[in-house]
Amino acid sequence: MGETVAVTSGNSPHAGFALARRASLLRVLLGEPVGAVALAAVVLLVLAAVFAPWLAPGDPYGGDLADTLKLPGEAGLLGADGQGRDMVTRLLYGLRTTLAMSLAAVVIGCGIGGVVGFAAAYYPRVSGLLMRSMDVLLSFPAILFGLALAAIVGPGIVAVVIALSIATVPLMARVVRGSAVVVMRQDYIEAARALGLRDRQILVKYVLLNCLSPIFVFVTLRFGQVILLGALLSFIGLGAQPPTAELGAMAADGRNFLFFAPHVSVLPSLLIFLVVLAFNILGDALRDALDPTLRR
Amino acid sequence: MKRIATAAIAAGLTALGLDPAAAQTKAPLTILRVIDADRYDPIRSTATAAVEALFMLADTLVSLDFDLKTVKPLLAKSWTVSPDGKTYTFDLRQDVKFCDGRPMTAADVVYSLKRWIDPAARSPVANRAGKVKEISAPDDHTVVYELQEPFSDLLYQLTLAFASVVDKASVETLGANFGVQGFNATGPYCWVSWTPRQELVMKKNPYYNWGPPMYQNPSPQVDQVVWKVVPEANTLMAAMQAKQADLTYYPPLFSIDTMKRVPGLTVQQQPDYIYDVFFAFRVNKPVSDDPAIRRAANMAINRDAIVKAVYFGHGTPLRSLLSPAVLDYDAKAAELLPHYDPAGAAKVLDEAGWKPGADGIRAKDGQRASFIVYGLRDDQNPRISEAMQADLRKVGLDMQVQLWDATVGWGKLATQEFDSFMMSYPYGTATEAMNLYFKSTQAPTPNRMNWKDARTDQLLEAAATAVDPAKRTEANAELQRQLTEANVWIPIATRQLWLVSSDRVGGARPHGLYGAGLYKGLDLTLKR
Amino acid sequence: MWRNVVQRLLLALPVLLGVLLLGFLLMQVVPNDPAVVRAGPTATVEVIEAIRRDLGLDKPLAVQFGLYLSRLLRGDLGISNINNMPVATELGNTVGPTLELMVASLVWSIPLGIAMGTVSAYRRHSWIDRIIMAVSVAGVSVPVFLLGLGLVWLFGFYWQVLPFTGRTGPIWTLEGLAGIALPALTLGGVFVGPVARMTRSAVLDVLGADHVRTARAKGVGERAVVLRHALRNALIPVVTLIGLQIGFLLGGAVVVETIFSWPGIGRLAVGAILSSDAPMAQGTIIILSVGFILINLAVDMLYAVLDPRVGQT
Repeated sequence: MGETVAVTSGNSPHAGFALARRASLLRVLLGEPVGAVALAAVVLLVLAAVFAPWLAPGDPYGGDLADTLKLPGEAGLLGADGQGRDMVTRLLYGLRTTLAMSLAAVVIGCGIGGVVGFAAAYYPRVSGLLMRSMDVLLSFPAILFGLALAAIVGPGIVAVVIALSIATVPLMARVVRGSAVVVMRQDYIEAARALGLRDRQILVKYVLLNCLSPIFVFVTLRFGQVILLGALLSFIGLGAQPPTAELGAMAADGRNFLFFAPHVSVLPSLLIFLVVLAFNILGDALRDALDPTLRR
Repeated sequence: MKRIATAAIAAGLTALGLDPAAAQTKAPLTILRVIDADRYDPIRSTATAAVEALFMLADTLVSLDFDLKTVKPLLAKSWTVSPDGKTYTFDLRQDVKFCDGRPMTAADVVYSLKRWIDPAARSPVANRAGKVKEISAPDDHTVVYELQEPFSDLLYQLTLAFASVVDKASVETLGANFGVQGFNATGPYCWVSWTPRQELVMKKNPYYNWGPPMYQNPSPQVDQVVWKVVPEANTLMAAMQAKQADLTYYPPLFSIDTMKRVPGLTVQQQPDYIYDVFFAFRVNKPVSDDPAIRRAANMAINRDAIVKAVYFGHGTPLRSLLSPAVLDYDAKAAELLPHYDPAGAAKVLDEAGWKPGADGIRAKDGQRASFIVYGLRDDQNPRISEAMQADLRKVGLDMQVQLWDATVGWGKLATQEFDSFMMSYPYGTATEAMNLYFKSTQAPTPNRMNWKDARTDQLLEAAATAVDPAKRTEANAELQRQLTEANVWIPIATRQLWLVSSDRVGGARPHGLYGAGLYKGLDLTLKR
Repeated sequence: MWRNVVQRLLLALPVLLGVLLLGFLLMQVVPNDPAVVRAGPTATVEVIEAIRRDLGLDKPLAVQFGLYLSRLLRGDLGISNINNMPVATELGNTVGPTLELMVASLVWSIPLGIAMGTVSAYRRHSWIDRIIMAVSVAGVSVPVFLLGLGLVWLFGFYWQVLPFTGRTGPIWTLEGLAGIALPALTLGGVFVGPVARMTRSAVLDVLGADHVRTARAKGVGERAVVLRHALRNALIPVVTLIGLQIGFLLGGAVVVETIFSWPGIGRLAVGAILSSDAPMAQGTIIILSVGFILINLAVDMLYAVLDPRVGQT
């Protein structure tokens, strides 16, 4: 089951040559209008999240109960939520939390998964054991992990980050192993070995760098998935706890008012949608940019 | 546009033989609720989700009227109480039959009540039966209930589903599967099948004609009843409005005003409903052990604003330890509850030595005025706790909120991790409520406050064993005053019971004993 | 080929054992006490202690796991800690509806996704490609519950044409189909996007490959190239994606089951873990991982059919 990996088409041997074009990647990306827009959107969203405390017009945690569920325009630009808190403020802080949470999960999950993947590719002797362990993790649904963790550490951001990291590890391990195995077959690895370079040098200097593009694409796409999975965990009450502003939790909690004050749930959902969309388009654009066979 | 699309799709479905309107006729009475019970064994199942079905499946010796105060006959035609208050003698009806057709006798009643209090049966609610000396059946239609000491709450407790009369043979045959795979009792409806988390199906008990007197018709009028679980509030609301079900008393609060306007839906409120929401302090933890903190917190909370916002006008602010609707409610005690006064709260804290720190949170002797609250993650608690949190922060108190899913929550609420908690509960009398939560022997659960006070115990005992109702009222009044002054609880709201019924249903009237909105389910009829 | 299947099945055994152990340990570290859950909110400490002894929770861990495995080998999945139902019965009740939901979701979403992706690749950089990709990416980016509640509102409430409060009958009856329509539309809706995108990029990959170029050079028409050569090879990554996404599908299923009161295994699993019902939780974990393993095995076998070269390695 672990033998065939085709999560992204970036696994094709051409990816190995990506290194040489790394410098021009940004130029290529910006050359495609869609990619450029997606990149701009991502940069903008990240900036909004980073500077949320300065941009936000109000207090994310203190509201006026008299403003409860006011529609956009009635109170603030985008209305108020179930606690009478300003939606613009909540959305900015929510974006901040969501991005930070997903970033943490992706960094941790991909970090561990990457190490496992490289190890499995480079040391064939442990490959079986490692990849079988990954299969165990993979066949263990992320949502059940989330539940168990929520019961252990308490529902909240920490539980979500751990659960999503764990769910990311086996996928990343497969992607990395898949592309690393291809790289390992290349002649220059043999050459490096023959030259007497140490394992770590070979791994970092050649294997890692030549696997960067599929990894990059995977991470970008995974980022969007992680945000959606987080929203899913919030739906069953395992996400960020009140009063934390987090987009998934805001969308899930706000659904109680969906039919008469829809903005409370729809606006955070829309923002989730935009973030995921931006990352997905960016991932696609990256893949197109990195894979020369797709360009004309 | 809407009409065209509706017509087109409906026409398409009709062509397929799928007329959605036709599919509804002759369907069983469908009641929607949001959660299922673990099982339906009267002595083991304490959730409202179990009790609401058990009231229909089984009967008790006595019943409770729609005012939720007056005890009425049911299996017992009449009863007498000895002058010392220790012996209750019940005279049973002689026409009662189980669902399998077997006539019920006094032996069945004795068996069921003894099963309830048998320590080996592990009933979590056995202490509701009082201190029993002996329960016996001198003849086939008489039951004698003897107590070691008087128990003023006994008759009310005997109306609850825990005291249901069940069939011994069925209990013994099914063993641990009683109330899971089968059930046999004398209720107006009989067990057909149960699919956990989905639906509980009942059919009319063909022999039943001994319904309690507050109903107009002593026999059930509906052939089949289906209790269906719809966990998502929006779906439940849409299902009622789309007439995909007949009854519910779990309408999302925000939808009640909308439902009132939907043609063909009737929305009724039970005015005498008692189901209180309160916040409580652990009195043996740092910070929350300081009466000044508790008093200040009680003054800092803007109860009316919270209830208005959180319950959409369909909750009643609770300005006393117990609901004003309850038996032995004491108005003088209610006056002792501090009013909303943030400035006063700050003053109380200043005087007690809690000084504001750099972050706005007060501290005293290096101890931050911070405490953790645990609660269940239901529809209201997240919003109540967030609003309380904001109010408390304004006077320099820091409340950390940790809410749990219902199933995890009860385990968490049995730990020593929290400093305060939020809870809601149904009850019928002051004696019941305060004996449940404030007796020292009930710590650490359900007396999660760890309130251990000799005077309280003495008064609780006096109220429970009072033979003279005036003495009981007096003891309960003093208890309410003592506990209100100690600010152990912050009363928040009384929930309201709203029964929504479709125009296919007749005779629906909200009851609400122990949260069960339909009680025996009699008088219900189906028009189509 | 059959030797290959047997080999794969044997390889799956240690994975399954790992899953069992992981599930068992997870249920152990979950700090809820099933005895407390079972006793209810107003129970006293003595009652809780007594129930704990009844459930055998006072035995050492290794003993509990050993006992569990030996019972499992004899085909006994145990009974629920919470409601005494045999785990096998509950699983039996929920596996069917779950399979129905999965099949009903995939049966329209995968062909649609593949068709959209193929058209998109065939007409790459045209306006139709851009529209299809926009729809696909948008489809991937919507939270499931919003889609589900939107459908409830539109079809169930506004138009009132479809039921949405649970299973209405077996899938082969009209009532059953009406009942499964909205849940399957919701769950499948999440799937169309990824399949379309994966198909598009896979077809594009293949279109650049040597044997397709050869076919083109031989004068085979572009449409035939796509259908006969490219699509067949492009299915491989698509099939892999489906195998991998089954886990994600389960997450979506929990939401769909909640919104539409669908009697599936997702809510059973969630409820069992939340209430520390270890035998039930383990049962659902076994079913889900066996399902996952079997689906991936089927995926691997499909490879061999789609690409004979894979079978040999």
